[in-house]
Amino acid sequence: MIQVRSVSKSFGNIEAVKNVSFTIDKGKIFGILGPNGAGKSTIVNILNTLVKPDKGDVIIDGVNIKDDGVTIKLIMGVVPQEIALYEELSAYENLMFWGGLYNIPKPVLNTIVNNTLEIVDLSNRKNDRIRTFSGGMKRRINIACSLLHNPKILVLDEPTVGVDPQNRNHIFEVIERLNNEGMTIIYTTHYMEEAERFCDKIAIIDVGRIIAQGTLKELRKISEVKDLITIKLADSSNEIISRITSANPLFKFDNTSGTLKVECSSISRDISIIINHIQNSGGIIERIYTQGTNLESIYLKLTGKELRD
Amino acid sequence: MFKLFKKDLILFFHDQRSVILTFLLPVILITLFAFAYGSIGAYDGRSEPVKLLVSDLDQTRSSKEIIHKIDSLEDIRIIVSDSIKSKELVIKGKYACALIIYKGFQDSLEAGRATQIELVYDRSREMEIGILQQNLISTLMSSTGKIIVRKSIEEYLQDQFPDIDKSTSDNILRTAIKDENNKIAIKWTSIVGEKNDTKLGLIQAVAGTAILMLLFSVAGVGTSILEEKENGTINRLLYSPLKGSTILYSKMLFAFFISILQLTAMFLFAWLIFNMDLSVNIPGLILMILATSFAVSSLGIFLAAIAKTRQQAQNLSTIIILIMSAIGGSMIPLFIMPAILQKIALLSVNYWGIQGFYDIFWRTLPLEAFLPKILILIGIGIVMTLASVQLFKKRIMKL
Repeated sequence: MIQVRSVSKSFGNIEAVKNVSFTIDKGKIFGILGPNGAGKSTIVNILNTLVKPDKGDVIIDGVNIKDDGVTIKLIMGVVPQEIALYEELSAYENLMFWGGLYNIPKPVLNTIVNNTLEIVDLSNRKNDRIRTFSGGMKRRINIACSLLHNPKILVLDEPTVGVDPQNRNHIFEVIERLNNEGMTIIYTTHYMEEAERFCDKIAIIDVGRIIAQGTLKELRKISEVKDLITIKLADSSNEIISRITSANPLFKFDNTSGTLKVECSSISRDISIIINHIQNSGGIIERIYTQGTNLESIYLKLTGKELRD
Repeated sequence: MFKLFKKDLILFFHDQRSVILTFLLPVILITLFAFAYGSIGAYDGRSEPVKLLVSDLDQTRSSKEIIHKIDSLEDIRIIVSDSIKSKELVIKGKYACALIIYKGFQDSLEAGRATQIELVYDRSREMEIGILQQNLISTLMSSTGKIIVRKSIEEYLQDQFPDIDKSTSDNILRTAIKDENNKIAIKWTSIVGEKNDTKLGLIQAVAGTAILMLLFSVAGVGTSILEEKENGTINRLLYSPLKGSTILYSKMLFAFFISILQLTAMFLFAWLIFNMDLSVNIPGLILMILATSFAVSSLGIFLAAIAKTRQQAQNLSTIIILIMSAIGGSMIPLFIMPAILQKIALLSVNYWGIQGFYDIFWRTLPLEAFLPKILILIGIGIVMTLASVQLFKKRIMKL
């Protein structure tokens, strides 16, 4: 559906995007994960033809963006990071205006607007001015405005920034529903859990460069990040610790916390073996903590940086 | 483009502050200025009579005759008072001036000595003093002059012809000082603004204020582009199949439309409330409104185009508009400004607009006479539009 090949873009001396390539299959959710200023929005603007790449090609649904920008804009819906709405217009007026830009006949658009308001669950507020809406409701209308021309691809640029958990869940439901209906989705975020929740594939971007991409499983493999099991023993005497660690070098004792740490490929597969080894070595387990591999740890491993809000 | 225009129009009328700033505030200002400038160029050529305190300490035939003559003047109304109170009233600012005719006035006249007469005045009230000066000098000169001349002739006749009889002497005197013989026949005729009922002050108030407020309104429209850039709606518009130039032109069209609406509303207000005769040159008026609206709206957009942020645009617009309106004649009538400022005024859009409306309503000139002013306004509009398009393409539409 989307092929991005060796795309680069500079603004003056700043290289915003460096030799970026990725492919997105039809009906999939592709996550672009990175901190603010990593180049996510520039990639979105390149995809939507607003920014011309200095190098490389972008093919969307068989159309090169250099050849036919208008077609690209018609098959793509973009939910901007900002709440780009007219505060003094009602939700309905906003939707009619934004939908009207795609030359949809008014009666048809009217039906679409009402249906879209249903999707984002704001039909009961359709005639209220946007300025009276909460941040989360504005975000939902912000998404709705990008759905009116029935795009094949939806680009969501950080759609949950500053949204409370309830509205965030609502937005997630909308995204999942659209994806289930076959829409291809590009989702930029700096929230790990969001990328983990939806994305079939994730590209991790840092200072304009994609440092890794693939499914969560593939990223785990690339980064070589393993699951971690932490064990607190009832008796952490030197004799017992020495017996456990000398028999299996995967066991490491952390003097600071007074715990044993074991890295493994799969917690569910390896935990019984680990427990048996400790018990056979005379150790009595007081507590066990498990920490599965997540994007947080992968990102940390790949970039050496933590991804913060 | 029409959809964007319609959206801006709905937003404009949803925003009560904009509507008040565009229509109500100019109406209030026009009303105030119309009263302030109301007497300038009044139809009958006269303003309210100037009140003159008169204190007659002489109480003679000559002093009473002079007071009577002054009282008969249309531009002056006499209020009789005593000399001390008159001076007090002038000092307190109740009256602009007081005429005191001292005791011995008639005797001095007849003796050919300096006359015992004094005008005390408040220098800050120059306009009233000016009117008095013009009227009093001529009246006093003709009255006292007559007495002095009569006395001189009488003395000459007595000296040269001691035996002359009284009737011959009276005939000679009557002939010598006959009013008609002494008058220089200058006919004063006002030839500008006589064909219509509209006062110059009202034209100044309407045109000056309307253009000033128009500049503020369209600067607001221009600033709204930067506001849209800041809140992301411009980018969102660019995500749609619209072209960047369409977005800009729709804003320009909206600013132009609001300008026409505002100017038309101001002139209709002046017609309804102040009886301003709009029918003097309707095609000319329409063309002037269109040309002024085009120039002013382009300038407003240009002011927004040269700013980087909304705040900067607001500050810059306020400063430039106020300076331009001050030198261009929107705040103070140009004809009372020094010559150098009148030359600098040519650089402002206000000047060409206001002068064009003067040509229509005051000078009642035909269209071809003020067509150059219309063309200059259109020229300003074209230059500003081209500059704005380039600046906006560079700064605003760039992502």
